[in-house]
Amino acid sequence: MREDDTYDLELHRRLSSRDRSAFDELFRRYGASAHGVALRVTAQELIAQEVVQDAFMALWRAPEAFDPARGAFRSFFLSLVHHRAVDAVRREERLRKRAERAANLEPASDEDPAEGVVEHAYLNVRRKEVRDALGILPAEQRQALEMAYFGGMTQKRIAEELGIPIGTVKTRTLAAMRKLRAALDESENE
Amino acid sequence: MIEDHERIDELLAGYALLALSGDDADEVDRLLTDHVPGCARCRETLAGFQALSGDLALATSPAPLPETVLPRLHRSIEETPVAGRRLRRGALVALAASVVAVAAMGGLSLVLGGRLSEAETRAGTALEILSLMRSPGAEPVSLEPRGETPPSSGLVEVSGVQTLYLASDNCPPPSEGHAYQLWLGADGEWIPVGQMFAPDNGVVLLELEVDTSAYDGIWITEELIGPPPETPNTSGWAWSASL
Repeated sequence: MREDDTYDLELHRRLSSRDRSAFDELFRRYGASAHGVALRVTAQELIAQEVVQDAFMALWRAPEAFDPARGAFRSFFLSLVHHRAVDAVRREERLRKRAERAANLEPASDEDPAEGVVEHAYLNVRRKEVRDALGILPAEQRQALEMAYFGGMTQKRIAEELGIPIGTVKTRTLAAMRKLRAALDESENE
Repeated sequence: MIEDHERIDELLAGYALLALSGDDADEVDRLLTDHVPGCARCRETLAGFQALSGDLALATSPAPLPETVLPRLHRSIEETPVAGRRLRRGALVALAASVVAVAAMGGLSLVLGGRLSEAETRAGTALEILSLMRSPGAEPVSLEPRGETPPSSGLVEVSGVQTLYLASDNCPPPSEGHAYQLWLGADGEWIPVGQMFAPDNGVVLLELEVDTSAYDGIWITEELIGPPPETPNTSGWAWSASL
């Protein structure tokens, strides 16, 4: 386990004891990343902020929902934010508007982290690993993955959008997930 | 049943990305309940895909939040009651620790508990429910056992704006060949809501998108497994409460 993951566990332990400074530290560590993914999925600033706030409040109210035995806090929390963002998009039925606006948003490629965001070094390292891993995917696999993850689309919808059988979407998605896992596992073990 | 692991992997990948719908969502629900808990390979695959789902968030650039957000969170924290909750904390912790899977059934999600290996599967949903139960304004309502139903097996219903949660950590198993059915009633008319469910090691978490203001009562009855019942069974175990 990386040192920063261990520190997250310590922060989570303190959070479970209602330690406000631990909450603030987790906010500083993950607020911008959470906002980044929420903004990418919802494409709406106010909704994205709401998603992030709700996720942090949910964490404050029920910190025991994270089980340290199950993996990194980082994965748990950012997954939670992503889930909430997708839920928000679907609930608000803003997919169409979002798709239009998404064309103006940055791609999940090799761009540098936004200027002005002070981010912990380890997150930058992991961020680069994730982007590098995405970079090795064939274009069609990456497309299927990103339409689901960042577009909040179901595989059925992706198949319709791309005009391909849903079975092909599933195959591409699974291949993408396997390659990403393998690449990130390798990075983690280096 | 012999399972095709390539197909299961496809479903688990889609599940981790929240990208399933229709028959695929139903199929993964079944797998998460019937197959994954007993299959080390699938548990490992699912855990890996879900960790990946969190890390994929890092593919986006971090976006600074307005300086007003943290103070706003502090205010919300101040308004969040810590003491005097109407629910037993121990019971809630038990629920969170034992959540295993969510089966999406139309607007209804059923979370079955008891297998720690899948706790991460829907930790977010557990967090959602627990958080709502503890949020200001949430008014948990105890569902009282009816008839011969064991008195220690109460369930708790929490009404949100358009969401109803049903939770228990000590729900007794239904009789053989039976399952529980949730009903909502208005003016004496009862309608079955969602599919029938059974607790896993006593744990039940139901999340239902419904405008509870349209109903005046909730009823959970024990029904024969099969086609949806037309009227509530009054002879088995049951719980009820006014909304």
